[in-house]
Amino acid sequence: MKFLLALAFRNLTRYTKRTVITASAIAFGLGLFIVLDSFLKGAEMESEINLINYETASAKVMHPAYLGERDNLPLKYVIEEPEKIIDILDGNSIAATPRVVFKAELFVREDPYPESGSVYVKGIALDPSRDDEVFRLRETVKKGRYLEEDENGVLIGEWMASDLGARVGYPLTLRVRTRYGAYETMDMEIVGLINSPNPQINKSTVFLPLSTADYFLDMDGAVTELALSPGLTFDRSRDPDKMAGQIEKLLHTNGYDLQVHSWKKLAPDYVAMAAMKSTGSRIILFLVFVIAAVGITNTMLMAVFERIRELGMMRAMGMTDRQIRLSFLLEAGGIGLIGALGGLIFGALVNWPLVEWGWDFTPMLKQMDIGYRISGVFRSMWNIPTMFRAFFAGIVIAMLVALFPIRRALKMQITDCLRDE
Amino acid sequence: MRNILALLLMFSATLLNALGPDEIIRRLEENQIHETAYSEGRMITTDKYGSITRTFRSWARGEEDALIEFTSRGEEGQKILRTEDEIYLYFPDAEDVLRIQGSAMRDSVMDSDFSYEDMTGGKSLLDDYSAGMEGTETIDGNECYKIRLTAKRRSVPYHSQLLWIDSSRFTWLKGHKFSRSGSLLKEMKADEIKEIQGKFIPTRIRMEDKMKKDSSTELILDTLKLGISIDPGTFSLEELTW
Repeated sequence: MKFLLALAFRNLTRYTKRTVITASAIAFGLGLFIVLDSFLKGAEMESEINLINYETASAKVMHPAYLGERDNLPLKYVIEEPEKIIDILDGNSIAATPRVVFKAELFVREDPYPESGSVYVKGIALDPSRDDEVFRLRETVKKGRYLEEDENGVLIGEWMASDLGARVGYPLTLRVRTRYGAYETMDMEIVGLINSPNPQINKSTVFLPLSTADYFLDMDGAVTELALSPGLTFDRSRDPDKMAGQIEKLLHTNGYDLQVHSWKKLAPDYVAMAAMKSTGSRIILFLVFVIAAVGITNTMLMAVFERIRELGMMRAMGMTDRQIRLSFLLEAGGIGLIGALGGLIFGALVNWPLVEWGWDFTPMLKQMDIGYRISGVFRSMWNIPTMFRAFFAGIVIAMLVALFPIRRALKMQITDCLRDE
Repeated sequence: MRNILALLLMFSATLLNALGPDEIIRRLEENQIHETAYSEGRMITTDKYGSITRTFRSWARGEEDALIEFTSRGEEGQKILRTEDEIYLYFPDAEDVLRIQGSAMRDSVMDSDFSYEDMTGGKSLLDDYSAGMEGTETIDGNECYKIRLTAKRRSVPYHSQLLWIDSSRFTWLKGHKFSRSGSLLKEMKADEIKEIQGKFIPTRIRMEDKMKKDSSTELILDTLKLGISIDPGTFSLEELTW
């Protein structure tokens, strides 16, 4: 075995150029995979956190008919007397906050705005005294202040404010339809500008106090949802759908025919995108495999066919086919090891600044929605298990693809090998 | 002489006030509802980006049924069918019929200042609103009753409306629609009234979204025939796709 290892090492150093080129191909493929996987994994993790902290919470309690109609943001399907349900949830260590989500048309007028205009927005009415138990909106106020109860004040995103030319203290009007369908207008004042890590919030959402919306929307105390946070930090190891099911059962036991939906169910666009990303990663892994396979096969074919006479001589001297196969496999494994090590270093070097400082996509994200709930800087993360898996895969793949040319060479007669020019 | 004039003015004012607001609305609706009607016209939608003209023809029967078929190039063959409290859209390219209901009723018709809800009409105004007299006013030389309509229920789209109704012809000349907070949402004006078979009908209507700058829709009826014979199947879903 020692002899075979020495032989494989000698062969690697004998053909340095070939070894370096093949190993570089493997290193490039693996490095690319590591960087991309870390980048997507980082974006996925941060997206999930931002989705839960600013948009969906861990789960939401809704009227049974709401989910099917939620694109229209109806005020028809509501939760009556939410306080009673909050008490039940509080008693079970589940933080809950009431919200009313509605469609509105936002109007601004020339002076103080640069020009008059209107834009359709999503209105979210929240309870300023309770909302912090579930969401982290208060932390995102960049200018002005957070909402106070009973005021005709709104918070809007900095992105929207920049589009409208809005500043703190500017007036705006929301045209809405009440719970019963009547037109209503709400003259409001911008009390604060927010910049949330979730772009959905920055672009087209207006926040206002629940008590104010309750009056204008004729809600009579009803809300469209109760956002939940079953712990201080969302436990990713637990199945969110299972958790939602348990809370729903708890409500049913207390006589409430309501549904509880996990964040996964509430953000199907994001879940679909994450699944697509996973398919993308698999395709990249496959491409890495192809690069490695083609490189190693070529190298090994050359290595084997250049050394047919040498191979014949080795066989004539009494080396078994098994020993010869093992010697070539070790040589291929060596190339794989150098390539995988190079890929690991290359991937880590490129990944490091992405983890440390990230990549700012703000200009692009302002213009288009790519599904991720990240408003500007995408940060990679160190996905150590995947890096090690990629490292070992590089070595194993290199050895596996070398089997084919070795098998072909070993099928030749010894005499034919020795006659080979 | 001055005394006689004052007496005449008082007398005419008394005559104007002799009709109650409910009666004025009833007379307005009698004037507006036709057994059958056929019209051809244009809908001109204007916003800050410019104007778009769409042509149409329509058939109506009583206060419930109406069918509008667009004839302009971009919308050719698209139809809107209104039956009792139901609105259906037909798109010839997709060969698909869409029922407008719920919150979709609030959407505008072809990006105009009219919503599907504005088109549902049907019920008498007095079913949804309580009418009150706010006096008289003169609009373009026509003496008008100024009637305030206040919603009887929370589910009525406009919390209140002001209607200026011509006191001699019993047709509306101007209307204002308000939100519950009292903001003026929409203004409608009848720019042209024609007398057809003894009825006074607005044939040039302008609807403006008063919350938007430079947003208006003009509805012009170039041809209007009353009391024509219409195949009863015209207002059915089966016929909509033909």
